[in-house]
Amino acid sequence: MSLNKLTIEFVINGRKRKVETTPSTRLLDLIRDNLCLTGTKEGCGKGECGACTVIMNNELVASCLVLAPQANGAEITTIEGVGRGKNLDPIQEAFMETGAIQCGFCTPGMVLAAKKLLQENPQPSIEEIKRGISGNLCRCTGYQKIIEAINLAAKRLSQQAKRREDADE
Amino acid sequence: MENTPRNTLISKYFAPQEIKEALELLSEYGEEIKIIAGGTDLLVQYYDRLYEIAGWLDLKNLAELKKISILEPYMSIGAMVTHTQLEKSPDIKKHFPILSQAAAEIGSPQIRNRGTLGGNIVNASPAGDLLSPLIAYGAKFELLSLNEKTVVSSEQFFIGPKKTVLRTDQLLTRIILPWPGQNCYSSWIKVGRRRALAISTIALAMVVKMTEDNRIIQEVKVCLSSVAPTPLEIKEVREEMRGKSFNQLNFDKLGQIVEDKTLPIDDIRGTKEYRKEVAKRITIHCLEEIYNCWRRKCL
Repeated sequence: MSLNKLTIEFVINGRKRKVETTPSTRLLDLIRDNLCLTGTKEGCGKGECGACTVIMNNELVASCLVLAPQANGAEITTIEGVGRGKNLDPIQEAFMETGAIQCGFCTPGMVLAAKKLLQENPQPSIEEIKRGISGNLCRCTGYQKIIEAINLAAKRLSQQAKRREDADE
Repeated sequence: MENTPRNTLISKYFAPQEIKEALELLSEYGEEIKIIAGGTDLLVQYYDRLYEIAGWLDLKNLAELKKISILEPYMSIGAMVTHTQLEKSPDIKKHFPILSQAAAEIGSPQIRNRGTLGGNIVNASPAGDLLSPLIAYGAKFELLSLNEKTVVSSEQFFIGPKKTVLRTDQLLTRIILPWPGQNCYSSWIKVGRRRALAISTIALAMVVKMTEDNRIIQEVKVCLSSVAPTPLEIKEVREEMRGKSFNQLNFDKLGQIVEDKTLPIDDIRGTKEYRKEVAKRITIHCLEEIYNCWRRKCL
């Protein structure tokens, strides 16, 4: 079967990209294979594990359940867009400090889920943290350290925000 | 593509801006084209055979289908409204609380952000979480084709597991919910293996409407998922409850009616016996919840 190519445009990690793809390519494959951003992982491929999580148009989505053309015109953040080089995001730092990473396969998705959660709800309760990462499976940590990490990041981020506010006054 | 005959698709993707354009595509390509909304069911179903899909009709640009609007005497919800929107909408929370609650319990944040009400309906899974609340609230579905507009009641829409009356040239555009009125009480319970990403083992939606003086039961709908080929309304409970006051009801007996009338199967999520037993228990639980809510309002 000949495949009908089409060109889509979107902004990924702040960079505008124009890519040729096919109608039935998944956003996940486009990100990994065409853009070589391999921080986004494929776990189950069926939206159950969250390893392929990205932020699209300011929403947490499973990139294995999005067709590439559906992302035409979208704004996407992958793990490569969180922190820059050695300049880590406070969430990433907290993950390292609390030992929330073991094999690391779920980590990109977890960090993005945490990032989205803290954007919407800067001071979540433990229950809210659990709900925020309920679409992401981790088979190593038992979740406890991930929850601690997000809690720690939330505390630090709100302290930072408070310091900024004080400095402004 | 120039030599391709009309009505044949070779891996094409359409994302029309207007509903009319979508209807034209449906009338031209019919069965060949797959309508995609959130994709959270479709891409799972076609996980290892996406190449089989000849054409995609993406509804993402149809802004009209993403609206929740209050139109006296009903509420209109666009088919592209996501589960997250249903969960967060203050109007839905206030007037149709168990629809909002059921949406909040679907899948995971990632699924709720993409999955849509219309998708949940046309997918017509016997375990579809929003279907029981929709039937319990007396929802109607607006189906458009190029030549006609049809409105079908939610009770008549589902005809089997993953089967509905929707034709291939029709598009589900809106869900119409009649106002529940002042004295309406509702309760919802989903039983699954775990809280997130669980397909319901069994779920129950119950809506009770009282007379104007809030004393006599006027209308009742008890509807279950995952106990029959389609979402199932237990009409016998309605007959038993209508015209009575809460104090005249025997909750155990009502639970027994539900247990007797369900037609579950054994599957990986639970056995037939388990589902029947749980059907009874959750019926009693929902009745108690509604009763307590009613009593608080009476005091």
